[in-house]
Amino acid sequence: MREGEAYLDIVWRQFKKNRSAYLCLWLVGLLMLQAIFVPLLASNVPLVYHDGPTTIYPWYYHLFHPSQSIDLVFNMGLLGFFPWLMLAIVSDWWARRRAISGRKRLAIIFLELLAVWAAMIAVAWIPATCPRDPYGDLNFPKEQAKDPQTRHGLYVPLPFGPTEINLPSRLEPPQTSPHPPENATKFNQRFTHWLGTNSNGEDVLAEMLYGTRISMTVGLVAVSLYLAIGIVVGAIAGYFGGAVDMVLSRIIEIVLLFPTLFLILTLVGLLGQNVSEQGGQQIYIAMAVIGITGWPTIARLTRGEVLKQRSLDYTLAAQALGASHWRILFRHILPNSLSPALVSVPFGISGAIVIEASLSLLGFGAQPGQPSWGFLLHVASQNYHSWWLVVFPSLAIFFTVTVFNLVGNGLRDAMDPRLRI
Amino acid sequence: MIPTLFGITVVSFCIMQLAPGDPAASQLSGGTVGRGGETPEMYQERKRELHLDKPLLLNFNYFRDFRQTVRLSAFYLSRTDEELLAELEPLGDASRDPGAQPEAAERLKFLRSVGIPDFNSRLADRDRWPTLPKLMEYYVGKLCGDLGTAAVRPAIDILQDSTSPARLKIGAIHCLTRMVGQPFDYTYSLPPSDSETAAVILPWRIWWNRNKATLPRPSADANVYFGDAMKLMVRSHDEFNNAIVDIGGSKKYYAMAKCYFAETLLSDSPLDQKVAASAILKQLVPEPLKMDLANDASMKQLDEVTANWMEHYRLNQREYEPSSLIRAWRIVTDTQYAYMVVRLVTFQFGNSTIHTHEPVITMIWNALVVSAPLMFMSELLIYLIAVPLGIVCGVYRGKPLDKGISLGLFVLYSIPPFVAGMLFLVFLCYGDYLNWFPALGLHSPNASSLSFFPYLWDYFRHAFLPIVCLSLFSLAAMAMYARSSLLDVINQDYIRTARAKGLSGPVVILKHAMRNALIPILTLFSTFLPAMLGGAVLIEYLFGIPGMGELGFTSIDQKDFPTLMALLYVEALVTLVSFLITDILYVVVDPRITFGARGDSA
Repeated sequence: MREGEAYLDIVWRQFKKNRSAYLCLWLVGLLMLQAIFVPLLASNVPLVYHDGPTTIYPWYYHLFHPSQSIDLVFNMGLLGFFPWLMLAIVSDWWARRRAISGRKRLAIIFLELLAVWAAMIAVAWIPATCPRDPYGDLNFPKEQAKDPQTRHGLYVPLPFGPTEINLPSRLEPPQTSPHPPENATKFNQRFTHWLGTNSNGEDVLAEMLYGTRISMTVGLVAVSLYLAIGIVVGAIAGYFGGAVDMVLSRIIEIVLLFPTLFLILTLVGLLGQNVSEQGGQQIYIAMAVIGITGWPTIARLTRGEVLKQRSLDYTLAAQALGASHWRILFRHILPNSLSPALVSVPFGISGAIVIEASLSLLGFGAQPGQPSWGFLLHVASQNYHSWWLVVFPSLAIFFTVTVFNLVGNGLRDAMDPRLRI
Repeated sequence: MIPTLFGITVVSFCIMQLAPGDPAASQLSGGTVGRGGETPEMYQERKRELHLDKPLLLNFNYFRDFRQTVRLSAFYLSRTDEELLAELEPLGDASRDPGAQPEAAERLKFLRSVGIPDFNSRLADRDRWPTLPKLMEYYVGKLCGDLGTAAVRPAIDILQDSTSPARLKIGAIHCLTRMVGQPFDYTYSLPPSDSETAAVILPWRIWWNRNKATLPRPSADANVYFGDAMKLMVRSHDEFNNAIVDIGGSKKYYAMAKCYFAETLLSDSPLDQKVAASAILKQLVPEPLKMDLANDASMKQLDEVTANWMEHYRLNQREYEPSSLIRAWRIVTDTQYAYMVVRLVTFQFGNSTIHTHEPVITMIWNALVVSAPLMFMSELLIYLIAVPLGIVCGVYRGKPLDKGISLGLFVLYSIPPFVAGMLFLVFLCYGDYLNWFPALGLHSPNASSLSFFPYLWDYFRHAFLPIVCLSLFSLAAMAMYARSSLLDVINQDYIRTARAKGLSGPVVILKHAMRNALIPILTLFSTFLPAMLGGAVLIEYLFGIPGMGELGFTSIDQKDFPTLMALLYVEALVTLVSFLITDILYVVVDPRITFGARGDSA
C-alpha cells in the first residue's frame, strides 16, 4: 500500500491487475459506444438524398424525431459525444496541471458528460415535440438507390432500420450477398441482410444493434434505482437498530420471500394494463419494476456492513465531536460501507438484462416496434425453423452477460480479496 | 414466523389492488367492451363473491348514518333517463352558484361523492349531458351495492314510513335490490341439510298463502302421477331432470303441479322430497316473491313488494341491527383485507375466472404434479454433479484441471436458461438439424396406451431437455460456491492436523473438510427450491409443459386473479418453509449453531 493512497485508488490498481476483467471493462465501454453510435451503423434513411435539384438530409432529421424516447436520449448522446470528448480532454489537462487527484478528475469528466447530455436533450426536446414531419410521406426506395443517374441516397454502412417492415424479404437466412448473385452490383451489394430477416422482413442485425440500447438502459436504470433504495434502507436499518431495524428487516425478508421473476411478471402484467391500454410503455414499467423489486439484497448487504462500521472507533470519534446522526451516517459510515453493494452492481446489471430479455420473450416487455434482444427471441419462439433468429440474439445476450459477470468478478477480487474464488 | 406470514398477506393484498378495476366504467364512459367480455352485472357479482365491495382495511359503515345517502340514492334510482336529464338543469345552476338552491347543492354534493369519472366537466359541458344519466344510475347503484348490509335499515325505514311518497319507496326498493344480493333462499344448497328447511319453506309459505285460492287442486290420478315422479326424482340428478321435462310436457297435469309440490314442501315430508319439491317449484315459478318493480308500478304491486321486503327484514333483523359489540367487531372483520386473510389462511382460493371455472386448488395441484418431479430431478442432478465438481476444483486448485472446469462453469453461469432452451429447441427438437427430442409437452399423444417401460422412456425423452435447462445455471452457481467454500476450509489448521495424523486424502476431504464446507452450500438450498417454482416460467413456456410456471404465466396473461393470488401466496409460503428447513438443517449439520434457546449463555 502506498502512502496516502485512497481506498478506491487501491481498488482500481488491483482491478487493473486482472487482465480479463480490465479487458471486459473496455468491452462494456465499447457496448455503450455501440449503443450510442448505432444510427451511424444502421439506419433506413439516407444521410444525403438527391432528388433532382434538391438535396435533403433525412438521417439528421430522424435523429431528432425517433419513434422511442429512449432513442432520443441516445441520439443526443451521439451528437454530444465529441463536444464532450473535447471538453473532457481540455478539463483533464487543466486538472492535471493543478494536480487534482485522479478520482476527482474522473468525477469532473463524468459530471461534464451528464451536463452535456442534459443540455443536448433539453435542446432536442423542442424539435422532437414539433408535430410536423416533412419527410413522413417520403419513402426512400432502395431500388432507386442502385441507379445513380436519376436520384440516389448516401446510406450508412447498414441501410436497414430496426423496425423497417419489408414483407417480401421475410425469413431470409443470413446472406453474404443479395440474391440473385449474378446481377449483384457495387451498389446493391450493400443491401445485404448479413444476419437474415425475421418474419416481418426486419433486418436482424439492425434490430440487434438497436437492441443494445434497450438492454443497456434497462440494466443501468433498474440497477441505479434499486441501488439507491437498497442503500438508503439498509443504512437506516443498520445505523438506527432497534425497532427500526426490526421492521425494515422484516420488510426485506418478506419481499425476498416472493419469487423474483414471478413477482416482476405479475407487477408488469398488472401495472402495464393499468397504465396504458396500448402497452407501448411496458418496457419502462419493466425497468421500474425490476428496480423496485431488486432492492432487498442490496439493503441486506449494506445493513450488515453498516452494523460493522457503526461499532468502530471513528464513529465514536464523530459522535464525540457532536456530529448529527445523519452526518455520521451519510458522511462517515456510508462511504465506508458501500463496497459490498458496489460489488453486486455488475452482476445486477447482467441480471436486469436477462430479466428484461425474459420479460420480452414472454411478451410482457418490449412490444412490436421496440427493438430488443428479448423481443427478437419472442418472434423466434413462434417459429423454430429459422436458426438465425435464435442464435444471434442469444449470442448477444450471452456476450453481454459474460462481460458484465467478468467485470463483476474482477471488482469483487479487487475490493475484497478474501472472497476470491 | 407469524409477522412474516402477516406481511405476506399484506403484500399479496397490495399487489391485488393493482388489478384493473371496474369494467363498467370504461364501458359506460367510452363505449368499449369490458375486459375479457365481462359485463357490469358479472363484475358486480364477482365483487360480492370476493367481498371486493367492502372497504379496504377498516369498515366504519356500521357506525355511520346513511339516512340522507339512501334517501338521495332512492331519489335518483327511481328517475327515468329523461327526468335525470331535466334534473341536470338545477344541478348546473347549483354548481355555478351554491348559495341559491340549497337542496340542489346538497344533491350535487352527493353526486360528486359517488365517483362518476370527470363529473364536473361533464356537468359543465351541455353537449356531454346525454352521457350522464346512465353513469349516474350506474354509480349510484354501485354505491348502494358497496354499502350493502350497513345501509339496509334506512331503506327499510323509508318503506315503513307511511308519509313517504310512492316514488321514493320505489327508489328505496331499487336500493335494496342492489344492497342485498339474494333476499330469500328458495332451494336447498348442496349438500342439503335439515337446518335450512325453515329458511327455504318461509318464502314458499308466503307465496302459497297468497296464491292458494287461484291454483287448481290436483286430481286423484295426478296425485299418483306426481307421487311416481317424486320417487324417481329423489333417486338421481338425471332422473330429476327427466321428471321435470316430463311434467313440463304433460298438458294434463302441468297446471296442478304447483299445488301438489307446494303441499309436499309445506307438509312434514322427508328431507329428500322437500329438496326435490323446492327445486321443481323454483323451476315452475321462477320468481315466487317479487322483490323489484318498474318505476311506473301500481300501488298494489308496490304494497306487495314492500311486504316482501319487510318479511325479508324481519327474518334477518339480527344481521341488519347488530349490537354495538358486533358493530365494533365488524370494523376490522368486515373488510376486504380481513376476508382475504381468512381465504388465504384457510386455503379457500375459490374458483378461477377463466372459462373453465375450475377450483384454483385443483389447478395448482394439477400443475404441481407436473412440475414437482421435474424440479426434484433437476435438484438431484445439480447436487450430484455440482458438489463433486466443486470438490475436484478445490482439491486441484490452480492446476489446469481446475482452470478448465472453472472456465466451463463460468460459461454455463453466463448462459440464461431460456437461451439454452431455445438453442436446444432449434437444434435438437424441430427436425431441421437433429430430431433427437420431442419439442412440446411431457407425453406423446399416445402415451396412455403405452405399457410401463415405454411410458417411462417416453416421459424421459420429453423431460430430458427441460431438466437440463433448469439445471445448467444453478449447477454452475452451486459448483462455484462449493469450490470457494471448500477452499475456505481446506487451509485451516485442523485439516493440516488430519493430514498429519496420516489420514488418506479422500478421508480428509470428504469427512473433515466437506462437513464444514457444506454449511454455506445449505444456504443455497433455501434459494434454489423457490427459484425453481418461479424460475421455471420460461422453461415451461418454451417447452409447453403445463406446470406451475405455465399456470402463473397464463393466469397473468388472462387476468385470472384468484389463481394469481393463490400462486403468489403459495410460493411465498413455500419459500418461508424452505427457509425454516434450512435453519433446521444447519443445526443438524453443525451442532455449534443454536438458535437462542440453549445458546443464551454462549
